Amino acid sequence: MIKLNNVTKIYEINKNNSITAIKDINLSINEGELIVLKGASGSGKSTILSLIAGLCKPTNGEVIVDEKRISKLPDDFLSLYRRQNIGFIFQKYNLIPTLSVQDNILVPLIPDNPDEQTIEKKLHYVMEKFNIIHKKDITVKNLSGGEQQRVAISRSMINDPKIIIADEPTANLDEKLSLDFIEILKQLKQTNKTIIVATHDPLFFELDFVDKIIDVKNGKILS
Amino acid sequence: MILTPEILAIFILNAIFLAFGTVAFILSVKIYFGWDLNSNKQKQYKLEKNSYLTATIIKYIFAIKLPLFLFFIFTLDKVSTVLTGAMCAAGVVDATEFGMYLFILKIINLYLFGFWLILHKLDISNEHLPYTKLKFGFFILAFLVFLTELVLETIMFASIDPAVMVSCCGTLYSATSASYISTLFQIEPLVLLGLFYGNFILLIIFYFYKNSYIYAILNILFLIIAIISLISIFGTYIYELPTHHCPFCFLQKDYYYVGYLIYSTLFAGTFFGLATPFFKKANYYKISILFITFYTFIVTAYPMIYYIKNGVWL
Repeated sequence: MIKLNNVTKIYEINKNNSITAIKDINLSINEGELIVLKGASGSGKSTILSLIAGLCKPTNGEVIVDEKRISKLPDDFLSLYRRQNIGFIFQKYNLIPTLSVQDNILVPLIPDNPDEQTIEKKLHYVMEKFNIIHKKDITVKNLSGGEQQRVAISRSMINDPKIIIADEPTANLDEKLSLDFIEILKQLKQTNKTIIVATHDPLFFELDFVDKIIDVKNGKILS
Repeated sequence: MILTPEILAIFILNAIFLAFGTVAFILSVKIYFGWDLNSNKQKQYKLEKNSYLTATIIKYIFAIKLPLFLFFIFTLDKVSTVLTGAMCAAGVVDATEFGMYLFILKIINLYLFGFWLILHKLDISNEHLPYTKLKFGFFILAFLVFLTELVLETIMFASIDPAVMVSCCGTLYSATSASYISTLFQIEPLVLLGLFYGNFILLIIFYFYKNSYIYAILNILFLIIAIISLISIFGTYIYELPTHHCPFCFLQKDYYYVGYLIYSTLFAGTFFGLATPFFKKANYYKISILFITFYTFIVTAYPMIYYIKNGVWL
């Protein structure tokens, strides 16, 4: 269960200049739900995602995930929370271009330092699941957009997180690849993952497996 | 006033410490009086951010202060070469009335900063940050002592007059001297050795019994007895001179800088020993007893080697 209670986030540019990204937001997401945050660029969708992922802290209010107030966690514990609970798919994938597919995917495993066998098992599972195993030794800069996204998805899933967050996942994809991504989301939804997608892609707005579409405008939730 | 490059370096570092320490002090006051981890208000989130900054500043001050203490002793040694009469750091410490107070204050501050670091480590290892208010409150007090140290240090170096002759360590730490140090030599060597090794054995016993309060008290006693016996007995074996009792000379090159090792092990051992009642969860007993045993081993080795080589005690 994810809860945002009266959350405000203000980015301070300098002493006299600040941007209020979201203001007094209240939001509740149940386990296993697929939520789409809909809104124009700059509406505050990514800020909501960052707050849930523990990438930033609110200026006011609280973020609660599984009864843990993650907005009050110290940095080290927040890193642990992210590692154990969050799979983040970024708009531009944020891959390391000079590393191979499998090296990119196993980056989140590094802090836990698991044994070779566990690494191999996990790696094989996600690469096969997201159909990228045939490219495992290719450097990611040589992959197409769709393939890069599948690497990003595999990387976000390698720690088997409970919550998957995707920020504008189809912004750089054509329609066919976007539909492929939606199919992957459907599969993940069936495994009872909580999925939150921020997008303004209309393809997401009429999907029958989406639980809630939340309209975000000027830092406020409209519906 | 003497301005050697070493003293200038200390002054510059003190100015930096003062600037950053003042920032940390102001933020610590804000955190101490405003901290409420349960609050979701903007003020609390700002204090949480400030606490990271403040803790980082304090950590870095300490990270520099620890080697700077050794540099301070090194500087005193260097300055002794330009002071008429001084043979080592002892002469410089005695050159002004503030020297010995400054020296003691520096050691106290090292202990205080060390305690702060342990408190900080315990605090950030718990997600509820249970010691945040305490650690910043503690820093507020420690900063005032730290400020006194900076002022004393500046006054001390400023008031050293190279034209004035000072006493050498041979006079200052002589059994015939009229100073308070000479009273140390009234204690019978056998009694002192008994106290030293007796205290060491008690430390080992209470290491196994894990009684933190008694262990800490024994550490305070050990620190005092160790320094007295070092000046009165063990030092003479390091110098191989029965009349030389200086606690500074063995920091010099002639004695392979062994003093740095001796003092480091003594201070580290007693520091962790003193920390045991306050931080019960931490395993400081082992670290403390290891350093203290190592210290005891080093100081015992000198008379033993001397006896094996010469067949007599000093």
